Parts: sequence; structure tokens; C-alpha cells
Amino acid sequence: MTERGRNIFLLAPAGAWFLVMLVIPLAVVLIFSFGERGPAGGYVPAFTLEQYANLPARWAAFKNTLILAPAGTLASLLIAYPLAYYLAVRADARWKTVLLVLVIVPFWTSILIRSYAWIFLLGGRGIPALLAMIGIEDVRLINTPFAVLIGIVYGYLPLMVFPIFVNLDRLDKRLLEASSDLGASPWRTFLQVTLPMSLPGIATGCLLVFILLMGEFLIPAILGGGKVFFVGNALVDLFLQSRNWAFGSAVAATLVVLMLGSVTAYMRLIRRLGAQREDVALM
Amino acid sequence: MYRTGKRSQIMSEAGYTPPSATATASPIAELRGVTKRFGEVLAADDLNLSIRAGEFLSFLGPSGCGKTTALRMLAGFETPTSGEVRLDGAVVNTLEPYRRPVNMVFQHYALFPHLTVAQNIGYGLRQRRPKPPRAEIDRKVRSALEIVRLDGFEGRRIWEMSGGQQQRVALARAIVNEPKLLLLDEPMAALDRKLRKEMQIELQNIQRRLGITFILVTHDQEEALSMSDRICIMRDGRIVQTGAPRELYDQPRNRYVAGFVGTSNFFDGAVTGLDGGTARVAIRDGIVLAGRALAPVAAGQAVSVSIRPEQIRLVRAATGGETGWPVSILNRIFLGEHTEYLVKHESLGEFMVLTPRQAELSDGPFNAGEQLTAVWDAGSALVLDKD
Amino acid sequence: MTKDNDYISKRKFMEELDRYRRGSVTRRHFLGVTGLGTATAVLGAAVPALRPRQAWGQGSIGDRVVLATWPNYHDPANFDAFTEATGAAVDVNVFGSNEEMLAKLQAGGSGWDVFVPTNYTITTYVGENLIEPLDAARMPNFDPAAFDQRFAGPGIVDGTLYAVSKNWGTTGYAVNISKNNDVTPTTWKEFWDMTMDSFSGRTMVHDYQLTTIGNALKYFGYSFNSVDPKELADAEKLLLDAKPHLFAINSDYQPSMRSGDAWMTMCWTGDGKQMNRDMPEIVYVLGKEGGELWSDFYAIPKGAPHLDAAYALIDFLLTPDVNAKEAAFHGYPVADSRVNALLPPEVLNDPILYPAAELLDALEFGAAATLTDPNRAELLARFKSA
Repeated sequence: MTERGRNIFLLAPAGAWFLVMLVIPLAVVLIFSFGERGPAGGYVPAFTLEQYANLPARWAAFKNTLILAPAGTLASLLIAYPLAYYLAVRADARWKTVLLVLVIVPFWTSILIRSYAWIFLLGGRGIPALLAMIGIEDVRLINTPFAVLIGIVYGYLPLMVFPIFVNLDRLDKRLLEASSDLGASPWRTFLQVTLPMSLPGIATGCLLVFILLMGEFLIPAILGGGKVFFVGNALVDLFLQSRNWAFGSAVAATLVVLMLGSVTAYMRLIRRLGAQREDVALM
Repeated sequence: MYRTGKRSQIMSEAGYTPPSATATASPIAELRGVTKRFGEVLAADDLNLSIRAGEFLSFLGPSGCGKTTALRMLAGFETPTSGEVRLDGAVVNTLEPYRRPVNMVFQHYALFPHLTVAQNIGYGLRQRRPKPPRAEIDRKVRSALEIVRLDGFEGRRIWEMSGGQQQRVALARAIVNEPKLLLLDEPMAALDRKLRKEMQIELQNIQRRLGITFILVTHDQEEALSMSDRICIMRDGRIVQTGAPRELYDQPRNRYVAGFVGTSNFFDGAVTGLDGGTARVAIRDGIVLAGRALAPVAAGQAVSVSIRPEQIRLVRAATGGETGWPVSILNRIFLGEHTEYLVKHESLGEFMVLTPRQAELSDGPFNAGEQLTAVWDAGSALVLDKD
Repeated sequence: MTKDNDYISKRKFMEELDRYRRGSVTRRHFLGVTGLGTATAVLGAAVPALRPRQAWGQGSIGDRVVLATWPNYHDPANFDAFTEATGAAVDVNVFGSNEEMLAKLQAGGSGWDVFVPTNYTITTYVGENLIEPLDAARMPNFDPAAFDQRFAGPGIVDGTLYAVSKNWGTTGYAVNISKNNDVTPTTWKEFWDMTMDSFSGRTMVHDYQLTTIGNALKYFGYSFNSVDPKELADAEKLLLDAKPHLFAINSDYQPSMRSGDAWMTMCWTGDGKQMNRDMPEIVYVLGKEGGELWSDFYAIPKGAPHLDAAYALIDFLLTPDVNAKEAAFHGYPVADSRVNALLPPEVLNDPILYPAAELLDALEFGAAATLTDPNRAELLARFKSA
């Protein structure tokens, strides 16, 4: 077999997978998005831009997603980073594994079950009741964007913690000693060595969380009380309730384009940040 | 950035005086009764050492002897369990590394991969408060690069540099800060032999030029001997002996030092008699060797008699006045300037003899199997503690 | 009957979780019930080796029958009895919404033998040729005369019997009157006005276009089933005005009502009954203007793989004493007078389960056209994403 032939042979399974699992479904979505809703729901072939013209009807869902996905990513990062840092740099080696497992444990349970716990915590008998005890009355948390943000951070934290942890764990601790030796205080060492060296982990974690958040629907449904609506929720409704597959496909196609756009922009930014450093591949 | 070196620039075999050896000079750094425990492990045991300003001092010993721990306590990465670490007279036991006027060249350099060569070197200067002007930093970085002969490499990335170049960057990154102490932790361990030789010479030159106190940690006796003003021999967390290379070579405190600094032949026995500074030591089969006892010994004490291979001569016929030992030649290795013979005496066993080429030309060469007489001056044999 | 597609109440959830832990249901059943995905659960057939090898009455119907139904809508003991009697194990598929059921049948290859559609979907199934006409002769325990035609009627389309009545109920609202000076409201107008006033931030509406839009239409006295653009526009305006005052748009309202986070919610019969039983201050109200009456049916999809077993199962479940046990288990009213005769009088006299005639008369069945109307679907979606 020629090398070219061998390459094709080796790539065939991945190629087939790519075609069946990604290209064809996307093509179907694209074709559907130019069609019309059937009388009893579903899809009727047509060629019309009507579905796209109707997109503004989902403006709020797009707006919520485009605000809360980046906000959720950022909030996850702000909480995950210190945690990952502690695990990788500070935690006693003997406890590291145990602590890591503790970070993963929630993943053994469905996000649905875990989010239900937050319904109670954020509901009137949870945190607001505690706040009332110290004189802060009538705080409403559940079914607000804030509740959704909490759910997002809680649900996606491990996804953010892990890449950063792996990155920090592999960071040569002698670099920190070198920095200290050269006169940098711990804080300055963090800013000038640890943080820049952990950029790849941050980039990976943010990308993972952001992409998943763009398609999120469960957490807003559970903790947003149906009032904080993501594009994902709009899609669930369009496909399962109003059964308008054509419009649903148009919304889905738009979401894919938005996601591709933002991820491309993000990668570009990261690549520019990492342009001069081949020590660690940023992506 | 250059301090005027107070030390002699010439290091001659004969008339060499360690720098700042004058009694009045106060030590730049000191270890006083310093002990460090890591749990059960005693890494440093009652270290006492005065480091003189401008000297090149080496900690020499096998791995695990505590030399790196000693260095790390000077750098501030470890805090002594007891005792005092002093810098410029002040106790600095718990002073953080970033507050010490001390810099280190790490074993694997620990260069920042996300920074350029110039940024690496300027790192220490940028941490200063108030921050020096950019132009000053640039100037100092350039000057440091010149010193390590890497001019023009400012914008390079660390991973674009060879091992030897990285080593120079690490050195430049440390010296640019004009530290009171420059600590070098096995800096040449990762270099190949040829590069190591070059770097040794260069390090020495830089040290003399800058007058910075260098403290080197190494397990390589040749490196320590060739570069240091003084060597601190360590073993099992303790300092065994501190002294100039020559002093350690000529007057080792015990058999361990004699074996670590250069090579020597050792004959174990017990002291049978003392005569001033000379001790007689019974080896076996009634053979008694005489040697100088540098430290007091008592009759009956188990000791080693140490004779350096180059202090033994091989002759075909013994002349009077010298003790001669009949030996047969087992092996001969030609080393250029010297020839190394492995010889065997019936009772003393096998030992090494190093013969200069000059002697070979007149007497030799000797061949394996040949029966000869080994002779040495009574004064060249040393009676040493067995430990 | 909960009609939303994603959620079950927390209490039910915990019950399911407990059952799952005790191993009485398979994981897939658990996932199905909890909305983690439409999944097939195998109750009777969980351990094939334990199935009776030999049918004891009629050995000819095969060893299994697949039922697609709603959560907590059957007494498992009845399935065991059925299996014992016939040798056919009952595989239960649990669903959350009629839309989901329809989608699954439309996709084909569902493998179901019996399913439980709600009144307004039956004509759609007939129109899409997805439902099997029923042969009454094969269900000796089905007595059409015993059924209240108000509830059983939608099972007959163009004179052909397609589905037989299982249970029925109403859609009203539950209100915690302790938050309203113990005054019980009586109309949908009050429901919406209170929402935008004294109950601001405390009201829940269904995540379901049929009821949420229908009950908004009732504010203006329009038909629950209206698809008139002008009337829908009024309803939409009302919904959008009310939205900032809502606690949630969610059909899983029991937990919030019980915890006191929500004070008022659109509500189905069974939930109203359950909340009222545990917390008497939560009362169930049928708006005087009307609202929804609904009825669930047993039906057989086209191409059911075990047709004999399907008839046998429906017939078995319609047996009055079996059906009475079912009703005792889930608490929903039954349209079969033979069954009602077996139920205790306090059940029959319960105003929540069996409302007064004048309230009942004002109610409307949801129409198929209402459910499938694209404008109503889009209206609700706009309301939610606003």
C-alpha cells in the first residue's frame, strides 16, 4: 500500500464517523431550516427564508445565551482557578488524589439531580431563609438569571478545574523557586510565572465550558423556572413541544454559526497570545 | 556592576593565597550550628562554616550528603531546624528567598519558557522596587549577556538555545542582580564533558572578574578542585573538612577526605608506636609502615596509612635509605604525561603507582610481570583516621 | 396528569430515586421518569428468568406486552396480576408529553402495543394513520354503556372506536389562600389580576401552550380553544404583561407550592388533590369562566407487535375491580360507572375530583386543532423567550 493509501485507510473510520455523526446531521439541519412546518408539526420540504426571517422572535433566548454563556465561563474560571491552584500547587501530595476524586464525585450523579438540590438551596426555605435570619428579608434567588449562573458554575466547575489542574500540576515548581530567588514576592511570582504558564489550561477549560454552555438547556430550565430562556430551551420547545422542525433547524443553524464565530475569534485571540510561545501549545 | 576584586588574580600552584584570607575580614555568610531535619531524616547536622567575601567555595560530596540542603538554606528555600544562617552578620533563618541578596543557578537552570532570553535575564531587575528605568535594565541585561558571551541573543526563546547556552543564560540571570552570594547547584551536571571543561574555566573567569562570592555544589571532585578557593567536604549531613584544595589534598583530616580529594592507596592497620609526629602502623605479616600523623593518634588505634600513587616510585634496584617493597606489576596504563601501574605486594596487597613520563624515560618502561621495588619517602605517608 | 415533558415533582423524584436504590425499577425506567431521556423501562420483564414460562389462562398471547404511558399512572400490582394470569410481562415506557409520544410514533418502530393518548391527540393519530381501530368484541370487560360519554366520547372518531377511556380530570388553579386573607378566588380573571398585583412574583403557569394560553384566553371570556388571531393577540398581551410577575413557567409546581415559594399555580386535578390533602390552605379552583377538561385513553398503535396481548391488557385493566385498584393507586377520576360503584363515597363526593355540574359544564375539551395550532405554539415560545 502506498503511504497515501495507508493514510486514507487509517483515516477512514474517523472520516466515516465525522461524516455520519457531524456532517450529515448538520446538513439535515441546514436543509430543514429552509423548509416549512407540517400541519401536524414536523417538516415539509420547501425553499424559503421565512424561518430565518423569524429569528428575531427568539432574540431574548440568543441574548440570554450570549450573555450568560460567557458570564458563566468567566465565573467558573474565577472559582475553578483557585481550586485547581490549591490542588496542584498547595495540596499535600497525599491528599491530592482524594481531593481530586472529590472534585469528580459530583459527576457521578446526573446534573439533573444535582440541580434539584439547588432548587431547595436557592428556594425560599434555603439561602433566603438564612439571609432573613440575619435581617436581609425577601431575597428571591430561585428562577433568576443569578440562580442559573450558580447552577452553571456548579455544574461545569470540574470541566474548568481539570485542564487548569493538569496544567498547573505539570508546571515545574523550580520555576517558582527561581522567581522567588530572583526577588519576586509570591503574588508577583503568581502573576509573572504561574498565571502565564497556566494559560493553556485556562484556554482549554474556557473553551470546553463555553461551547457546552452555548447549548445548555437543562440548568436554565430547572433553576431559571422557565423564565431564563437559553437557545437550548428554545430548541427543546421547537422540536418537542411546538414541533416546528423547520424553525428549530434555523435556530439551531444560527446557534452553530454563532458558536463557530465566537470559537474562531477566541482561538485567534489565544493564538495571538501564544504566538511567541512554543514551549507549551496553547491549543 | 563590577566590584573590585580584593583577591589575587593569579592562582599559582605554589604561592596561592585564598582571597580575603586576612583575619580581619568579616564573613559575608555564615552557618552556625545549622541543623536541618526532614521528618526522620537528618539532612544537615551541626554545620559550621564561614564564607568569605569574594571567595569561590565548593560543597563537595556524594548525593545525599547534605550539600544541596546547605545551599538551599543559604538561598532561603529551607529553614534550619536549629542553628543560625547569617548573611552579612544578620540572622536570616526565616527570611524569604525573595528578600535575600542571594541568587541561584539551578541544576536544570529553571529558565522561564514563556519569556525571551533578555526577559529572563532582566527578571530579577524588574522585581526591584523602585523599579529601575527600562534603559538601565536593558543596559545591564546587555552587559550580562556580554559577560556570558551571548551578545545578540536577547530576543531568542529559551527552547531555541542549546544546553550550554541555557546554562549561560541562567548564569547571566543570576549575576545581573549583583548578588552577595551566587549559589550554583550542580550547574554543569547536564553538560557534556567538553562543554563542562569550558564552562568551568569561564565560570572561574567570570567570578574573578566580578568578585562575587560563588558557592558551588558538586559531586565532581575534579570540578571542585579545579575551580574552588576552598572546598567544604561533606558526608552524611556533616562537614568533614573545609580547606583550600591543596590543603585537603596534602592534609586530609581522614581517609574519607583523602579518598574523595584525589586518589590514594590505603593500608589499614593499628598504631604500634609513636615518635613525635610520626606513627608506626602494623599492617599484617609483621609489616610496619611509618607515616606522619596529622591528628593525634593513640597506640592501638585502627588507622589507615595513605600514600598517593604519585608519591611512590618504582625502581629496579633499591638504593639505601629508603624503605623498599618488592612488588610485581599486574597492569600498566599509559596516560600520556603519566603511566599508571597496578602493582602487588605479597602482604600489602595491590596498590597504584603513578610514574611521570620523565621517570619512565630514565628507568622504565616496566612491563607486566616484572619484579620491582616500590619506594617512597617516609614523610609522604600519612596516618589517617579510618573514618 | 402531568403534561410537561421534562420534569417531575421533587417528591416523586425522591420516591423514584428510592425505588431505584432499592432496585425495584431499572435504571432506564428511572431515567425515563426523571426526564433524563425517553427510555424504555422494564418492570415485569426486569428479570427474564423469573417470568412465568407457561401462560396459565390463555397461553396464546405471547410473553410480553409493551405499554407507553405516563408516570405513576398504574398500580404495579395489577401488572403482576396480569403477568400471572396471562404469562405476558408488561414493559412500561414512561412519557412526559403527548408531543413526545406523537413524535415517537411518527418516527416509527416504537414497538408499543398499548399507549395512553389524551383526548385531543386522538384525531391527529387517526389523521396520521398511526392508531388501530378497536374491536370491542375482543374486550369483553369493556362496556360502552357504563361510560360517561362526556369523557369517553373523544375515543370515537367518525363513528369508529379508536380508544377507550382510562381516566379524566380538569385543569384549574391551586391557590394558597393563607396568602390571600383566606379568601378563595373563583375566576381566571382573579387569577391573572392577583398575579399582577398582590401575588406578584408568586404565581406559576404551565410550560404548556394548551393550558397557559387557554387560561389566558379565559381572562377575556374567549374559548379555551380559540385560534382566532385577535383573541390570541389579547392573550399574548396578557401573558407578556404578567410575565415579569411570574415566579416560574414550569409544570412542576408542587415543590414550589409546598415550600411556600409560590402561592398560586395553574394546576391539574391530581396535583390539586395531593396538595390540598397535605396542606388544606392550598385549595383547588375551577374558574367560573371555564377552562380545560381532559380525558386519557387506552389505544393501540398501528403495527403493534403483540396485538393479542394489547387487547388482553386493555381488557384486563378495564375490569372494574382492577380499574378500581388503579384509581385507588393514582387518584384520578374514572368515567366508568361500574368502577365508581366500587369507590368509597368520600372519593365520589370530593369536589376536587368530581366538581359540581355547573363548573364542569363550563369546561371545554382541548381540541386537536388547538394543540397543533402553529400560532399558539409560537405564541407560547415567544412568551417564554421574551
